[in-house]
Amino acid sequence: MYEFKLYVVGRTPKSIEVIEELVRLLEDALDGHYHLEVIDILEKPELAEEDKIVATPTLERVSPEPVRRVIGDLSDNKTTVLLALGLTAQRVEAERNE
Amino acid sequence: MSKRILIIDDDEAVRRSFISALEDSKFQVDTAESGEEGLQMKKDAEYNLIFLDLKMPGMNGVETLREIRKTDKEVPVYIFTAFHKEFFDQLRIVEEQGLNFEVIKKPVGSDLIVTLTKLILGQHEETKEASHV
Repeated sequence: MYEFKLYVVGRTPKSIEVIEELVRLLEDALDGHYHLEVIDILEKPELAEEDKIVATPTLERVSPEPVRRVIGDLSDNKTTVLLALGLTAQRVEAERNE
Repeated sequence: MSKRILIIDDDEAVRRSFISALEDSKFQVDTAESGEEGLQMKKDAEYNLIFLDLKMPGMNGVETLREIRKTDKEVPVYIFTAFHKEFFDQLRIVEEQGLNFEVIKKPVGSDLIVTLTKLILGQHEETKEASHV
């Protein structure tokens, strides 16, 4: 199971767009085999501090390790996001079989 | 035409750090030392990205953001702030009003400036050809 954390600023229209885009992306790539925790940085700044988040939006792949992060607009280049998260089709298949 | 970035911060060291970090990029970097000056510059030119300090004398970051969003709902605005509740309380108000913005943690290192700017404005703009000579 893949686990992700997404740090966003509240529920601005842009944040909602980022969340919706990401869910679509993860559904396509992982077919439901993931858990996404959305963290409102304005509500829980202490979590952002703990995880050393420096900007929004930040998407973190928590597991499987190693932890990977993508900062900035997640909607512009889906391929870049997937690669940055280590979610190529071959890798996803390999990690599911481990 | 190169993409333009506006830095609005009363701290000269911050403005200089942005100029220094992005001097080898193709981006045009303009700076303003107050919200009022930044708004005037925004009226006079189109910007692709704005970095905005939260705490400034005179018009602060929240007030400046409100004014920017009256005429431009699309330009990405990153607000510099410490990640503490006392600062976020001010931002919560504009968030509840549905104004788009992102946050970036102070102090901002040059690596983050360059990385974030490239991600937002596009990798292809990242380096001047001259810098490879």
